[in-house]
Amino acid sequence: MSTVESRAATLDSGATTRRSRANKAFDIGGLILTLITVIFAVLWAFPIYWALITTLKPEQQAIAKTVEFLPRTWTVEAYWHVLVNTMIGRWYINSLVTSLAVTVITLVTSALTAYALSQLRFPGRTVLWYLILASFMVPLTALIVNHFILMAQFSLINTWMGVVLPQLIHPVVIIVYKNFFDSVPKEYREAAKMDSAGEFQIFRRIYLPMNWGVTTALAIVTFIGAWNAFLWPFLAVSRPEMMNVAVGITSVNDAFGVQYARELAGAILAALLVAVLYLIFQRRVTQAIMLSAGVKG
Amino acid sequence: MNKIFKLAMLSTTATALLLSAVQAQETVVWWDFLGGGDGVRMKSLIERFNTEHEGEITIEGTTLEWGTPFYSKVQTSSAIGEGPDVMTYHLSRVPLGVDSGALAEISTDDLAAVGLGADTFASANWEAGQSDGKQYAVPFDIHSIVLYYNKDKLAEAGLLGEDGKPTGLDGADNFMAALEQLQPNSEYALSLQTSGDGTPWRVFYSLFGQQDGVFLGEDGTFLPDDSIPKAVSAVETMASWVEGGFAPALTEYEGSVALFTSGAAALHMNGVWEVPTMTDLAAKGDLGFEWGAIAIPTFFDHPATWADSHGFAIPSNGGKEMTPEKKAAVFEVIAWMNKNSLAWADAGHIPAYSPTRDSEEFKTMEPNATYSVLADTAVFDPKSTLAGVASPVYDAVANYIAPAMNGEMSPQDAIDEMKADLQDQAD
Amino acid sequence: MLRNHRQEMVVALLFVLPFVLIYGVLFLWPTFQMVYLSFTDAPLIGPGEWIGIENYVEMFDDRRFWTSVRNTAYFVVLTVIPNTLIGLVIAMMVSRLKGWQQSLILAMFFLPYILPVTVVYRIWNWMFNVQFGIMQYPLTWIFGKATPVFRTQWMFMPAVAFVTVWWTCGFNILLFLSGLRSISTDIYEAAALDNASRWTIFRRITWPLIWPVTALVLTIQLILQLKIFDQVYLFVQGGRPDPSMVMVQYIYSQAFQKNEGGYAAAISVALFVIVIVFSILQFQVLRGRGQK
Repeated sequence: MSTVESRAATLDSGATTRRSRANKAFDIGGLILTLITVIFAVLWAFPIYWALITTLKPEQQAIAKTVEFLPRTWTVEAYWHVLVNTMIGRWYINSLVTSLAVTVITLVTSALTAYALSQLRFPGRTVLWYLILASFMVPLTALIVNHFILMAQFSLINTWMGVVLPQLIHPVVIIVYKNFFDSVPKEYREAAKMDSAGEFQIFRRIYLPMNWGVTTALAIVTFIGAWNAFLWPFLAVSRPEMMNVAVGITSVNDAFGVQYARELAGAILAALLVAVLYLIFQRRVTQAIMLSAGVKG
Repeated sequence: MNKIFKLAMLSTTATALLLSAVQAQETVVWWDFLGGGDGVRMKSLIERFNTEHEGEITIEGTTLEWGTPFYSKVQTSSAIGEGPDVMTYHLSRVPLGVDSGALAEISTDDLAAVGLGADTFASANWEAGQSDGKQYAVPFDIHSIVLYYNKDKLAEAGLLGEDGKPTGLDGADNFMAALEQLQPNSEYALSLQTSGDGTPWRVFYSLFGQQDGVFLGEDGTFLPDDSIPKAVSAVETMASWVEGGFAPALTEYEGSVALFTSGAAALHMNGVWEVPTMTDLAAKGDLGFEWGAIAIPTFFDHPATWADSHGFAIPSNGGKEMTPEKKAAVFEVIAWMNKNSLAWADAGHIPAYSPTRDSEEFKTMEPNATYSVLADTAVFDPKSTLAGVASPVYDAVANYIAPAMNGEMSPQDAIDEMKADLQDQAD
Repeated sequence: MLRNHRQEMVVALLFVLPFVLIYGVLFLWPTFQMVYLSFTDAPLIGPGEWIGIENYVEMFDDRRFWTSVRNTAYFVVLTVIPNTLIGLVIAMMVSRLKGWQQSLILAMFFLPYILPVTVVYRIWNWMFNVQFGIMQYPLTWIFGKATPVFRTQWMFMPAVAFVTVWWTCGFNILLFLSGLRSISTDIYEAAALDNASRWTIFRRITWPLIWPVTALVLTIQLILQLKIFDQVYLFVQGGRPDPSMVMVQYIYSQAFQKNEGGYAAAISVALFVIVIVFSILQFQVLRGRGQK
């Protein structure tokens, strides 16, 4: 974290020196660039703002022919309607449970596998590693038909388990973990071995704690992915009470007549948890994505 | 954040409590697709049922997206035994539903036990729920499309007769002249859904039926040669409304309704199921104009209007048998709904249950009485595994007829390609 | 010593066991089943008969199949390169800022990425709504009348691609940003001393040094966008399904709407092969360019 920051700082100071040494026209160029950046950012974020504002208007104002950037009348009626008339609470729980399960199971199994691949010798090690590398480019989406058949055979359609299982294939997580485990100095392991610590203890006491940053990063990325998953949860669930929030808001019809504000309120609610978490842990999420991808290359 | 969590927890605890409370009684899982104005009526019908059967039967109803999303869910869920206990189903789709194995046979003995049978429905209606002589669906209504009108705008344009009903709309040319008269005072003279598979099919099939067109011949030919010009002129008529700027191009269902209810359009072609939308808005004083509804005008040789039926069906659920108690509850639901279908008539539909349809209350119900003539001139979808809601025929409408309505394709090409496409899928 | 080795092996196998189980049951087995299914006429659920390569023969003759291949390719063209380039441009703009300003601007660009696709769909459906959408102001100015973009055939794919770029670009921005940060400032210093223009600095320094990241982003994008389903499925509802059909959507419709499990499996195999071939090809091409 600190290296990234200090690097950024040096980069910035470098830019400043560069600018100060150049002529004045250059400075104006920089100013214009900053201005363009800000305008572009505002335009980029505008749709989210606009959706949010629409949900706080009464339906009749939402479809007014004039553009109002703030509601004339503030109301949370649309949210109230969604909370009362849909199963959104239930959908939230489904999303939470399945996303957490996907995250935890993926991380645990991947970390263990990566540790074995990185530190231990066993038959089939190379084959397994190449299989994992190769499956990085395989489109899991192509398996929807057979995943569905398989889950139906296990009677797991319309269950949390059925939603979770096919989402567990994340070769990237193993690849990242292995890279980080590879770079842990061998001395730690040797020393622990001297104390006759078992492999699992070494894994749990040394390798995991030394890489908490990676774990957090991968957890964040996996969780966002699972929370936002659409296609598989959409196929694996037909009972409204088992849907996750991303699927529920567009599959179940709960309102009649003009309902733009309500539809958007459902959408805002569906996005809320992850959006708020992101805004709180912005720095962490940013690093997580850089970290999880930076190593892949 | 906290508040939402609390709400989420609350709603699950509430559901859990409810579930444990009803252990002793039967829960009937019910799916429907009634997202239009009629959905509100169905919701209150279900509530009434639940109150009247407190402690015995509870309907757990869900409304899914109409059309293809609904029927895709039904089909896959049914194949693996995860379907609902009972669902609404379009009778036009019964052949396709039976063919794909999604529907369970309904025993006429069970129906007779709750007082339903061939004698309580019109025979054509009853038989539409059959395949190979076996019953797969129980009729609930007959529904069609009508022409909604804004009385104020029609009066301004001099198109309102002394009885307060529109005049001079029959005949393609007269209708066009009426649109021209209405256009100056409206954003659109006529609003209708002009994208996708719903209204375009219903209007097309009505205009096609007014010329005695044959969509699927006895020998399995789609659009036999002498019916092609009829189909083309039906599409040409529809396209002329958009081309002339009288009807909105590429407009979705919801948008077409909003155009009329907001007073931007003088006429609106849509299903009878939007009657409650108008009634409710008018009752709340939100409509801002007087409205009415009449049967679709006669554009060609004689009156004819597309019609379909909602019915109740039971998914095959992979051959899983219901418990006798559950079965009894499901049949009670089907019977109760039919016997109380006067409330469903209030949703614009014509009840299938003969005693309701013949009752004095229904016969005097407005606006149903005004357009009830259409029952005599109804044309139903062809009986085929390729026809019905969310079928290849409906897909073809979205792919060919809707684009032709919007001038993206010539009507002749659209009909030719539609015929070739459907024939290809039939063989 | 020997005992130790054996022990290590047993421990290692225990460690990899959960993953190998998951991998075997949920990846290798379904993949094998998919290939097998593609040679049968099975429905989605239930047994079918072995019909050899009939599904594949049918596929090559199937107009809709080729439409779906073409549309998938078109979507990839419309998203992969724009998404990469826009990501790079925004990352360069953002990297000029510092401190809280950078965090704020970055958050504005990144926020869409964490939204579920259905939320993105709702937001843009509202933005582009033909009667009430705010985007109709610029669209009316351009086309002279209100324009239903997701219903106008030629606009459909570009519009979905536009929304996709808006939605997913944040991820690329972050990758480029981390790439830009790792470029040593000394190089920029030296260039500044030479009074090099911004463009020269970009062309001579930034672009070559950022190339590995660009290659990575292109690869991730390509694999990702070939699997397009969600956005097209959502936005096409109520429109013309056939002309904008993409491959995964065709798999979905054959399996889950038409109940043709075997045929859907054959299309899945085709998609599988296409993605792998493209990934390998692209990997080779990009590596070749990178080494130059």
